Amino acid sequence: MQTLNIVGKSVRRADALEKATGAAMFSTDLNMPGMLYAKTLRSPHAHARITNIDTAEAEKLPGVKAVATWKNTPRILFNTSATMTFTVPNQEPVLDQYIFDNVVRYVGDEVAAVAAVSERVAEEALKLIKVEYEILPAVFDPLEAMEEGAPDIHPCPAGKNIPGEIIKIPMGDVEKGFAESDVIYESRFTLPIQKQAQMETQAAVAQVSPDGNITVWSTTQTPHPSRMILATAFGVSQSKVRVLNPPYVGGGFGVRIGLSAKAEPIAVALSKLTGKPVKVVYSREEDFIASDTRHAGYVWVKLGAKKDGAFQAMELKGILNGGAYCSFSCETPGVLGAMGLGVYRIPNVSYYGHSVYTNITPAGAMRGFGNPQAMFAIEQAVDDIAAQLGMDPIELRNQNIMRVGDPWILPYPCSSTGLEECMHKAAEEVGWQRRGSMNETGSSILRGIGIGVGTHVSNAWPFCVDYDNAYITVHQDGSVMLATGVPDIGTGTTTTLPQLAAETIGIPLDQVAITFGDTLTTPFDIGSHASRTLYAAGTAVVAAANDVRRQILEYAGDLLKTAPDHLEFANGLIKKRGLRDSECVGSGVCQLNEAQNFITMKDLAYHAHLRNKQFIGVGRITPPNAPPWHAHVAEVEVDTETGMVTVVKVAAAHDVGKAINPMIVEGQIEGGVLMGVGYSISEEIKRDAKGKPLHVSMHKYLLPTAADAPEIKAIIVETHDPTGPFGAKGVGECGMVPTPAAIANAVYDATGIRFTELPLTPERVLKKLQEKK
Amino acid sequence: MDLMKLSFMLNGEATEIMVDPSDMLVDILRERLLLTGTKKGCGKGECGACTVIMDGAAVNSCMIPAMKAMGTTVQTIEGIGNPNQLHPLQESFMDEGAIQCGFCTPGMIMSAKALLDSTPHPDGAQIKEAIAGNICRCTGYVKIEKAILSASEKLKG
Repeated sequence: MQTLNIVGKSVRRADALEKATGAAMFSTDLNMPGMLYAKTLRSPHAHARITNIDTAEAEKLPGVKAVATWKNTPRILFNTSATMTFTVPNQEPVLDQYIFDNVVRYVGDEVAAVAAVSERVAEEALKLIKVEYEILPAVFDPLEAMEEGAPDIHPCPAGKNIPGEIIKIPMGDVEKGFAESDVIYESRFTLPIQKQAQMETQAAVAQVSPDGNITVWSTTQTPHPSRMILATAFGVSQSKVRVLNPPYVGGGFGVRIGLSAKAEPIAVALSKLTGKPVKVVYSREEDFIASDTRHAGYVWVKLGAKKDGAFQAMELKGILNGGAYCSFSCETPGVLGAMGLGVYRIPNVSYYGHSVYTNITPAGAMRGFGNPQAMFAIEQAVDDIAAQLGMDPIELRNQNIMRVGDPWILPYPCSSTGLEECMHKAAEEVGWQRRGSMNETGSSILRGIGIGVGTHVSNAWPFCVDYDNAYITVHQDGSVMLATGVPDIGTGTTTTLPQLAAETIGIPLDQVAITFGDTLTTPFDIGSHASRTLYAAGTAVVAAANDVRRQILEYAGDLLKTAPDHLEFANGLIKKRGLRDSECVGSGVCQLNEAQNFITMKDLAYHAHLRNKQFIGVGRITPPNAPPWHAHVAEVEVDTETGMVTVVKVAAAHDVGKAINPMIVEGQIEGGVLMGVGYSISEEIKRDAKGKPLHVSMHKYLLPTAADAPEIKAIIVETHDPTGPFGAKGVGECGMVPTPAAIANAVYDATGIRFTELPLTPERVLKKLQEKK
Repeated sequence: MDLMKLSFMLNGEATEIMVDPSDMLVDILRERLLLTGTKKGCGKGECGACTVIMDGAAVNSCMIPAMKAMGTTVQTIEGIGNPNQLHPLQESFMDEGAIQCGFCTPGMIMSAKALLDSTPHPDGAQIKEAIAGNICRCTGYVKIEKAILSASEKLKG
């Protein structure tokens, strides 16, 4: 096997020093000469027509520079999510948003925005805008929104309030499969609204130059697709728009794949009206009520197995609450179905799913993208089948999990799997053998252990268009500049992509600089999402690095009068094969006329420069896809007097293919696990009867703190996937995926009660415990 | 409203600035003194991103009216170390992988510093309690707690 010098090492993050000293720049930190501050007026109604809007008084307030409404902003339909830029043919992206409209469709929908000399003045001005509304009927539940009498939220060819298409995935004959099953489990599961609650709220600063060029600094996870959306929404060519991160982004978790809600278009609209730079920063409450959430909804599962444990058939159905605008509502049910059907080898499966428009905050992308919803249901069904058959849940899973080369419904092969190893390692870490025997007679605390498993994607294809480009330019001293269009939203891109480049070329890591997250300096890339950045952008980086390496070795071959494949190139030194590093001393361009066995990268680059040559590597790839795998084993305590579920420990074993930087990989897993714990036991946005969201601050929403966090043990399993860069697969979203299922199965082990609704709040748990008595 | 003069020690320097009495300390630090290392994540004292140390105690600077800082000693992330002489917490956060998006990092380090200043060798429960008001959505707190523990061991020296 190839010796690795940089890949596989837990090197310190490239952005760590800036972030640890307070020097790192974020969108919310930007400040420019003449900059104005914007505030947005939001709808108090869930569904209404604006019959009149009067901004005269607001415009008169000293310090107010402009007021934007549907009347003075472009009327071009778009979609704030990147789906409008990368929906795969032959599907059509759903475009259902204006910057401002004369109909509002959820509590929090944009009505108008003010640009003023300070946030305080802008807020005062909002109170002076007079709006008259004609209230329209509203609907909040997706099943009710599909009924004949429900209000039409948008015109929908596929069915009442159904955006995009209904997704149907059939394989085999499920009726026959169930007829041949000895045991069957069937239930409906109810999923709540979860919020990304990334630490930096949605933000943008826009500057429109006198000649109409638009520059936008923002929190987007996808600068290039965001440029495409803004060019469309403002009717200008892409070459007149630059989108960049400043360069850091305070988390994402899916909330800004595309625009940062409407921060960018509101900032641009007001900058066009005033000729000044305009800053939009969402308050935390605005971020909660007016930026995409995870899809709530319903998942039905029916699973049948033979007495010996062999799965025969599974029927899966998902109806998701899409909220007031489409965002990623077409893709999310597809991923729910495809991932749900991807874990087990079942001869007969079917999936039916779609989203439904309602009058609540739009649902879009959030870490896991439908997959946690699917696995919450499926993994409880698998556990129930194990209980019915009297089998160990891990044994039952091991008998049925997908293996390399097995047929499945995805258009790429199952190229690697370490799921069996993941299950055993996670089980061992928690002490699986204690399961079922942890309760003490007379104790009010019940204890249990449960498992959940899953897979995911390593990039966005086949759910979205997905391709990547990277350039590597070699400077005249042999150091290099890597250019890639992905951002670093906290996942370590700016460390791991240079690790790939340095390893591939054969130079030290400190010789690689990176430009990223900026449409002006980087080639097109669809951005950071779908657990794809390291896998997909990384594949392009490796291709560019190989291109540079090839050019350098060819040049060095001429110079050293040796065939390139008889040269070695590592740690910045190119030498004839077999030569020891200690023999390579005293190099210099002055000596190059003499017979020579080696040359440093530094000398070679300068030698080339003096002869009118620069090395520039290009990587242009369409990445394949590969399945990461994961098994989580959770230990819980249930207080039968209060209904409180305490998660004691989660062991999370992940097959990531190859950990390019193990410390960063562990961080991804640990953060995903805690977000999954929050989803399982506390996080939820509910609303009142009129559609007003109630849990719109971090305290009300019950975001997990350090005091709430269980012990989390991340375990890395490496299977060296044949398709990924150095064998790597995706990891970013995976910590979320099986966590709720593992916790619910542990609660079942503790209480004997199967909970089909998240989160497992004390009220819900206590109610069921009392019913059981 | 009439402006008032705020005098305080900021990161070791005597500082005077005219403020509106309704201004919050976080906004004076970020918008007027351009110390943007201190972050603003909620404006309601719920996330801890704006944590600074005032007279030895970690406080949410978004909940402190600026004039309350009169005569106090305030430390922000910019005042506890520099690239040539980092605070042990800054070193540990970098080495242990406790930093991801970095938005909670300054506030988290300031809460941890207030803890270590008063309790140089805390146990796990004390660490959790000290940072319970600082939300991090990226890390699951695992490597943050480890970094604080490791910094306290360095301080034992």
